[in-house]
Parts: sequence; C-alpha cells; structure tokens
Amino acid sequence: MVKLTMIARAIDGLPLVEGLDDGRDVQDTEFYKQQVKALFKNLARGQNEPSRMSIETGPYIFHYIIEERVCYLTMCDRAYPKKLAFQYLEDLKNEFERVYGNQIETAARPYAFIKFDTFIQKTKKMYQDTTTQRNISKLNDELYEVHQIMTRNVQEVLGVGEKLDQVSQMSSRLTSESRMYADRAKDLNRQALIKKWAPVAVVLGVVFLLLYVRNRFW
Amino acid sequence: MGTENPNPRNYPLRPAATPFASPQSSTPFASPQSSTPFASQQSSTPFASQQSSTPFLSSGPVVGSEAPVFRPGPPSASNFPAPPFSGGPLVGTEAPAFRLPPSSRSSEGVRPPPPPSSGGPPTSGFQSFPNPPMPSAGQVPPPQISHTGRPAFAPPTRPPPDQHFFSAPRPSSQPTSPPTGTSYAAGRGIYPGYANMQLNSVSQDPPMQPASFQLQQGGYGPRLQSASFPLQQGGYAPRAPPTSLLAQQRGYAPIPPVSTPSGIYPGNQFQQHGIAPPVAAQQGLAEDFSSLSLGSIPGSFDAGLDNTALPRPLDGDVEPKCFADMYEMNCKSRFLRLTTSGIPNSQSLASRWHLPMGAVVCPLAETPPGEEVPIVNFATGIIRCRRCRTYVNPYVAFTDNGRKWRCNICSLLNDVPSDYFAQVDASGRRVDLDQRPELIKGSVEFIAPAEYMVRPPMPPLYFFLIDVSISAVKSGMLEVMAQTIRSCLDNLPGSTRTQIGFITYDSTIHFYNMKSSLPQPQMMVISDLDDVFVPLPDDLLVNLSESRSVVEAFLDSLPSMFQDNMNVESAFGPALKAAFLVMSQLGGKLLIFQNTLPSLGAGRLKLRGDDIRIYGTDKEHTIRLPEDSFYKQMAADFTKYQIAVNVYAFSDKYTDIASLGTLAKYTGGQVYYYPNFQASIHKDKLKHELSRDLTRETAWEAVMRIRCGKGVRFTSYHGNFMLRSTDLLALPAVDCDKAYAAQLSLEETLLTTPTVYFQVALLYTSSSGERRIRVHTAAAPVVADLGEMYRLADTGAIISLLSRLAIEKTLSSKLEEARNAIQLRIVKALREYRNLYAVQHRLSGRMIYPESLKFLPLYGLALCKSLPLRGGYSDVQLDERSAAAYTMMALPVKSLLKLLYPNLVRVDEYLVKVSLLRSCFLCWSMIWYVSYLLPMSSQTEEFDTKKRLPLTVESLDTRGLYIFDDGFRFVVWFGKALSPDITKNLVGEDFATDFSKVSLSQRDNYVSRKIMEILNQYRKSDPSYFQLCHLVRQGDQPREGFFLLTSLVEDQTGGANGYADWMSLLYRQVQQNA
Repeated sequence: MVKLTMIARAIDGLPLVEGLDDGRDVQDTEFYKQQVKALFKNLARGQNEPSRMSIETGPYIFHYIIEERVCYLTMCDRAYPKKLAFQYLEDLKNEFERVYGNQIETAARPYAFIKFDTFIQKTKKMYQDTTTQRNISKLNDELYEVHQIMTRNVQEVLGVGEKLDQVSQMSSRLTSESRMYADRAKDLNRQALIKKWAPVAVVLGVVFLLLYVRNRFW
Repeated sequence: MGTENPNPRNYPLRPAATPFASPQSSTPFASPQSSTPFASQQSSTPFASQQSSTPFLSSGPVVGSEAPVFRPGPPSASNFPAPPFSGGPLVGTEAPAFRLPPSSRSSEGVRPPPPPSSGGPPTSGFQSFPNPPMPSAGQVPPPQISHTGRPAFAPPTRPPPDQHFFSAPRPSSQPTSPPTGTSYAAGRGIYPGYANMQLNSVSQDPPMQPASFQLQQGGYGPRLQSASFPLQQGGYAPRAPPTSLLAQQRGYAPIPPVSTPSGIYPGNQFQQHGIAPPVAAQQGLAEDFSSLSLGSIPGSFDAGLDNTALPRPLDGDVEPKCFADMYEMNCKSRFLRLTTSGIPNSQSLASRWHLPMGAVVCPLAETPPGEEVPIVNFATGIIRCRRCRTYVNPYVAFTDNGRKWRCNICSLLNDVPSDYFAQVDASGRRVDLDQRPELIKGSVEFIAPAEYMVRPPMPPLYFFLIDVSISAVKSGMLEVMAQTIRSCLDNLPGSTRTQIGFITYDSTIHFYNMKSSLPQPQMMVISDLDDVFVPLPDDLLVNLSESRSVVEAFLDSLPSMFQDNMNVESAFGPALKAAFLVMSQLGGKLLIFQNTLPSLGAGRLKLRGDDIRIYGTDKEHTIRLPEDSFYKQMAADFTKYQIAVNVYAFSDKYTDIASLGTLAKYTGGQVYYYPNFQASIHKDKLKHELSRDLTRETAWEAVMRIRCGKGVRFTSYHGNFMLRSTDLLALPAVDCDKAYAAQLSLEETLLTTPTVYFQVALLYTSSSGERRIRVHTAAAPVVADLGEMYRLADTGAIISLLSRLAIEKTLSSKLEEARNAIQLRIVKALREYRNLYAVQHRLSGRMIYPESLKFLPLYGLALCKSLPLRGGYSDVQLDERSAAAYTMMALPVKSLLKLLYPNLVRVDEYLVKVSLLRSCFLCWSMIWYVSYLLPMSSQTEEFDTKKRLPLTVESLDTRGLYIFDDGFRFVVWFGKALSPDITKNLVGEDFATDFSKVSLSQRDNYVSRKIMEILNQYRKSDPSYFQLCHLVRQGDQPREGFFLLTSLVEDQTGGANGYADWMSLLYRQVQQNA
C-alpha cells in the first residue's frame, strides 16, 4: 500500500509535488520525509544512481524512478508488490509529463505543481487494494523487468555520500600531511648537512685566516 | 495633499523669478513641497525667504486682489515707516498660521526687532528678504532667538499689534493665545482647530487654497521681477503687504486668516516631514504649532456648552497623513497604524503618554485596484538579516560598495549574496533599485522557498458542522444556509484543489460519504457520544471539483432531509471532536452553525443565564468567560492543526456565545450572531455574510510576527489568534477583515537611534497553493518631546487598541471598571497635555486637546456605549454583548470607528427632489431641460451620501427620513410628519402597519428605487458585513429606542452621559489635581 508520494526535480532536489494526506497511518512520517529529502539531495549531487531503484527503510521500502530529470518516489509497505509500485510510478510519470512536462525546467518555487496531488490521490486509490482484478492482471503482465531493479538499504544509499566524503577528506588530509612531511624531511636534511660540515668549514676558515694574516704581516 | 498640489504650480515660478524670486518665492515653496533633502538649507534660506514670501502670500490672496500688490509703490511709500510694522508682525502671525515651524519661528525672530525700534528695523528686515546673500545673516539669528528665548521674547512683541488682530476672528480664543512664550504657536494652533469646527466648509477644501496662493504668487512674482531689481524691490515689496494687511486687519480680516492657516497648513507641515531625517532636531519647534489646538468649550462649564462646536468625525476616519508623508516608503496605513508615530525616546517620556502605545495591523487589508502588493521571487533564498531575521526592506543601507547591507532593525552588517549584488552609486543607492520592489515599497510579498514549509502547501478546505435540531429547521436557517453554500461552490477559492465536507448533528452525529462515484451521498449516523470515531477513513472530506454532483445533491436535499426532525438536543461537543478528527490531517476552515445551547456530551453548557444579581459583584465577569475548559482546549488543538473556526449562532434563546466564541477567538476565526433568526427577515444578511466568508481571499496556515527596532518591544497582542511563542501569532486562516493589535513598550531607558522600524511578516499559504511571506515595513521617528507624540497621534489606532483593552478588561472585572478605565486614560492623557501647555490655558474655562486627538473623547464615549461595554444587565443581552465583543476584537480600524460613530444621513429631501426632477423628466415638452438637469441630479446624489449628521436626537427632524448606518445594519427612521407619499412609496399601501414585519424592498416607483440605490451604494462601500435594513417609525417604542435611540451616542441614554456632559465631566476631571 502506498504511504507517501513525492515528485522532485532531480537536478536540484526541488520538491514539485507531494501527496497531501500522505502518511496518515505512518508512525514517524516526518522521519521518513526527512529521509526522502536527503535522498533527493543525494540524487541532485549527481552521483550516478540507476534510474530505477528500491531502497529499504525500516518496515517500508522506497521505490523511485528518474525520467526526464524528474524523480518520482513512493513509499510502500514491504509486502506491497514491487511491480505494482513501479506501475503506479509509471502512471504518475506519464500523466505528469503530459501535463507539466514543459514547465519543469522553469519551476521556480517549491511545490509549484501542487495541483497534481489530486491526480496522485486518485491514482493512489486505484492501487490501494492489491486484490482487485485490475491490479492482479497488472501483476501478471510482464511489462518490464522489475527483478532487475536493484534493492539496497537506505543506510547504504545515504551512507554512500557520507563515506565518499570521508574518503575524500581523508585523502586530502593525507596529501596535506605528506606535503608537510616532505617539507620537514627537506629541512632535516639541510640541518644534517650543516651539522656535518660546519666544524670543517670553521677549521678551514681559521686556517685561511691565519694564512692571510701571516702573508700580510710577514 | 499639499505636496502634490503646489508642486506643479511651483515649478513655473522658479525660472520666472530670477533675482528676486529665487530667495523669496521660489525657494521657500519649492524646498518644502518638493521635500528635497536640503535640511540645512531649509533651516537657513527658506526661513527668511518664507518670511518674505508670506507677506506677499497673505497679502495677495487675503486682500483678494492683486491691486495693492500690483502697485506697491505709491501707497506703500506713504505707509512705509509706520505700517510696515504692524504689517511685519502681522505677517508674522500669518506665517505661523501656515503652521510652518521654521517660518513662524523666524518670524518671531524677526518680529522682535520692530517693537524696540519702530522706525529702522523694518527696512532692514525687509531688505534682507529680497537680497539673496543677506538672508543668511538675517535668518541665522532668528532661529537662535527663538530657540533660546522664545518664551521670553514672544509675549512682549506680540500683544500690541497682534492681539487685536487675533481677536477679530475669534474673540473667545483671545485669552489663550496671547499668554505666553509658545503662545504664537498656541494662537496658530487655535486657528486650524477653529477652522475645523466652525468653518467646516473652509477647512474641507484646503487643497484649493494653496493652489490659489501659488497661482497668485506666480502671477505676482514675475510681475515684480519685471518691474525692478532685487534691491529696489526690497523696498517695494514689503510695502505692499503692509497695506494689504492693514486693510485686512481692520476690515474683513477674520475669515481669510482662518482659511489661510487651514489651507496652507498641510503643505507646510509636510514640508517639515518631507525633510524627515532632521525631524528630531526640529521637533521641539514643530510641536508648538501643530499639536496644540484649542477646542474651546466656551465659558463656564456646562452652562454655555455649545453643542455645535464640539468636534465630530463627520468625515469618517481620517488617517493621519503626516506619518505617511514623512516616510514615503512606509507601508500604507491600511496595513499598519501606530497609535502615535512619535516613539518616545525614554521611559519617563513613555510613562507620560497615558494612552496605549502600539500598533494595529491588518496584514491582508484589501487594496484598491492598481495598488496591489508586488510579488518578489528570490531564486536562491530570501535576503534576511542573519541575527534578527528581518527581511530586506527599503530602509536597509547598502555599504562597502554594495557588498554588505546593514540591517535597519538590529544594525548588523550582513553580506550581500553574490546573485543579489549590485553596484552602489555615489549617493548610496543601488543601481538596480528600479527592478527591486522590495527596496522601494513598504509592502511586498516574497515567494517562500522550501525552508518555509513544514509540509506541502495545503489546499483550501471548508468543513461545515451543521446543527439540524428542530430550531434550525423551524427558523429556516438550514435552507438558507444550504442554498448559500450551493451558490458559492463555484466561487470557492482554490479552483480544483478545494476540499469540502459536512457533518450534521442533533442528538447524534451524521457523517456523509461523498465519494465521487456515488450518485447520492451516504449518511452514517453515530450515536456513541462518549467515544467519537470516524466511520470512514476517506471520502468524508472530498475534492470539490470531483465530487461536485454529490455535494450538490447533498445540499439540495439537506433541508428536506431534516424537515420533520423533532430533536431538540444538540451534541455539539462530540460533533466538534468528530470534525476535528476528519480535518486534523489537513487543517482548513470549520464553519459551525449552532442553533441551541450544546446539551449533550463533552462541552455541554448550562443555562447559566444572565442573572441580574451577579451584576455589580466581583463575579460579574465570569458570565463573559467560557464556562467549560473544553472549549479552550479544543481551540488550542484546532490551532495546532491549522483549523480556523467560524461560529454562526442563530438562537433566540441563550446559547452561551461567550463559550462558543472561544473557539473562534483562539483560532483566528470570527463570530457571527443572528439573534432570533428568521429566514424571512435575516435571509439576506446570512446569505451575504456566509458567501463573503466562503469566497473572500483567504490566507491559510499562517503565522505572523512583528519585529521592531532595538529598544522597543511588543509586549502584548490583542485580537483573535493563538500565541505560539512569545511573539509569534498562529493564524490558521486570515483574511482582509481581520486586524490585530499589539502593545509596545520601551525596553531600554533611553533610545539613541533617531528612527524606530517596524516590520510585520505574515507567512501564509495562498489559496492557489503558494507559500508566501507578506512583509510590511514602516519607520517612525523617535521623539524627545511629549507634544510631538501628541501631534503624531492617530485617534483611530488608539481607539482600536483601547477598545480591545477595554473588552479584555470586561473578562476580568466589572463593566463599570472597564468604562472607568477608558475614561481615566483619556483624562490622564488630556491632563498631561494640559500641563504641557498649562500657562495659556489656566486663564479661562476651556479644555485643550491636541488637534490629532480631537475626536478621542467622543470615540471614548461611544466606546463606553458600545454593545460590549454598555450599561448593565438590562441594557444588552449577554449573548449580544459577547458576540459584539468577539467581533470588535477583530475589526479593522475603519470599521470599528464606523461602528462607534455611525453615519446618519437625511434622505427625504433628496428623494423629493429627485422625484420632482423625475416629473420634469417625464414632461416631453421639456425635453431640452432634461439634458440640463440630469447631470445635476447625479451631483446631488454625490452630495447626499456625504453629508453626515451629528448623532443626536436633535438632528432628527420629524418631517424627515433618515438612514443610520453603522456598518452592521441600517436603520431607516421615519419622522412623524414625514410626507405620507414617501412612506407609501417605500413600504406600500399598508404603511400604517407594524414596521417590524415590513422589510424594505424594491417597489415600482421612483422613490423606492432611489432609496434602494442609496442603500446598495452604502453596502458596496462596506462589504465586510451585510447591513440589514430595519424600519423604525418615530415614537414607535420600544422599537425606536432599541434600534436607534440607544445608538445615538451623543445623547444621554440610560445612565450614560451625553456628549456635552461627558466633555464637561472630562474637563472637570482634567482640572482636578492638575
């Protein structure tokens, strides 16, 4: 059963539509919405995710598709057939592209197409019950291969960004530290050199001085 | 007004008058009116020049002919030595009449010379005017003199020449004007007041006068110039005025001088404000002139009280113009009004201002076409101050070549984001100023980015909770309501997103499934009142456009569904909970139609009644408080889930509006009360008000915050809302008919900034689903002087705040105490003012008050007589009292003032006239005549609606027909001796019957059509409420008393004072322990 529906622009994560009375029977709606927003942000950062994916989170599962730089996302129970969920998103996508396809780029404010939520409500109701004839027949259709769609864990997905950040941080720290090390080493080298040759130089100097003095006065 | 008028005329002047006029005529006028930033110049050059120009001015128009002006040479030569003096001072007195602070001062400064040496100074004084270089020398001293020695100087100089001059126009004010130092000012102050009171006609067309002055001056300037050189003129010019002035003085002087001040005053006053920043420096001077006005209550206290001379707001609410002109970039006063635009600079000063200090905000006030609030969309976040979160506004200053901006409220230096960056030119203006409405306009709307949303913008949602018990059906309420809602379905805001739902209830609760696929709505009845649940997860709240046919079917069948319902119970509380369960997901607007006292389940109310014994005891206020905490709790829950509640109450019996109204009070809603609702009578009223409620533009899930500069703080808020944190008002729904008031207090002991800024920010979701922030910004000067505070006071805002405070006081103490508190505040304020100008005033029995507050006593009286505060037990039904109190807590200033001092207009003469005209009209033989008369008739109509009468029985002529309009109802009063023709035409043949059963409707005759036209015109001008028309015949008690006589606030009714008595009472109290 569909719990949440959100549509956002993939390039900058700007939310375009959200199903309105979503999350009525979900406990921590806010928590999941936050997750969705973080996910959008991740996508917007351009980490090349597959255009279709399912992400597990707690008792629920996110499904999303990215088409034409718009991300359609829904949150369902884990038990809800994956095929139906993607079928639902596909329906939304078709209608959304038909109605607002040419305005997506120019949308300037968040939830610019909030009017679309009436369609979401309507469509959602059709997919509510998995046992209706219509949905069963859809399940039996082999429209496209949902099995190939990757399933990952939300921690993983959201973590990817974090880990990458960590790695890059670490590497940058490493480079800066190695540079410091090189500088230090050079410094040490020079000091060692000085230590080694300084007495000789002093002795030579004294000798030359003596020679010079003797030549001069004698 | 002055600003616009003179300007165009002014310009032609300048080029024409090169040598002479440059100092004399052009500078003074140009600089003031064009409000250029020459503060310094203004104080130096213009002074002298004004001085010089004023004589011309006054002489020109006053004497009425250019003749004396035109041939100045011959007559003046003879006059020269002696008269110039009388002329000089005179001129001086007139200049002040203009009320221009600087000029008056300078004139005072100049005046001193004459008396000491009568012969010499005139010439020198006069020469200084025309001579451009001279003025500075001549002028610099005057201001100084006036600064230091004003009090000392003035009296000696003035009396001889002036006093008798002054006395001519208004003997009564003579004693006051001369007395002391500020006296000139005082004298001048008197003029306008006087003009306003007794020469209404004169004061009403001030714009004309400056115009004429200018024109004449214009004519004059060139002529003079062509005649001679500056120096020569120096000799001539002065002479002209003296002669003319002399003439004026002795002859018909009185009227012109009076008219002059009133005419010129605005212009000059503006001038002072146009040069806003330095105001602080000039305040000390300004105060004398403008704020003091002697409204005379002549003679010994009650005996000679002249009723006609009392000030009356017959022009309705006049907003203080000076404020708006002072800071042009301020938001319009319809959005924000301060009780005084002069913010006191110290706590001690604030404590001497006994009236409430604060602001009245109407964030969504309706704007006339063409003045819509501009919408701004920042692509990358809204520009706000980092520390105090102030929105960018016209008063922020860009520095560091445009890379930083300084917040005007907390003066923190913020970075300008790179995409908002623009170069700053030499004067500190951004080069892209024209494309940035937020930097020019005081009111803008920002499109809010995603950070301003906790959830996607909600759709407009209307939920109806309808009482269907027997009384609702019998009174016809159900039918009218169903019809009205059905007719409004097309006009609900939000187009395709709007959601709608219904619950009806009597002793059980009925839900309706309105799923779009159903042909008919399904009704579900729940009788378990203790544990309410929602029988269906969806489809109780449906999308209107999808389920339109089902909703229509429901509304069509609703009246018939319950027509045989004999149930008298009302399970209001449980039904309310049910509605909450259905709505809590989205929020929205809940409209409650309640007919009886809630009798079942939670929130059950007792018939605690309007017990006469409780009045006058300490428990009196408890009957005005909600009885059950259930209501307050529910209201808190509603607000939390963004639900606004509007209560419509219809009962003829006690329904405990005090409790029901709590729901509206804390959710930003409104209470509509129709006592004893009868469909046949109140149908139109309910129809209009309900459809306005449903169709007006509404802002959803809003929060509002008022920010203000350092040193001041808003301490308390008054109106219908819930306070979410200390300064955040939660407003589930706001519209143009709601205003909120806030009280201000000083935090620091001394304000050092010259200006205090206020910013109102309303974050809301529009019906179209956009999240927006409406921001109003205003600046107000900080003043160091009480007189200035009085001068900048705004009676409307003061009364609005005062009424809210008084109403809140009735909830914690007796009515009597609330009334006394109002009276006490007015008395204290007037006493303080009197002490300010104690000296000139002590001589005679007169009351003084500032010009800006001249209506304060009257409105105060009206407030004491208003429904929530009037009398005691028997005067007003408890429910009506409570309903009126809830209504007044939300009213915008203009509507409140109209309610307090309603319009009373006589119409019979007009009706007769037009019907006569009409008979002419019908004469074919006189067709040529028609074309001549038609325009006239339209003119009379215009005139008719504007001519308001004082609200006293004496205004009512037994032969007349009057319309009384307080914004909520009309009363049409038929005089005893009114021509029966008119009555017959208006109410039909049976005009002798009981008027309570007759309603005014359009009949097929000219008189009736005309009066309906007038009424509709009134209604159109004030659409917030529907004014139901009550017909009242003279002497038809108790109807007449109930509808009209108690509303005539100037009369003595019951135990309350009449206007004259009230004034003398105030006067006596002001005198006491002064």
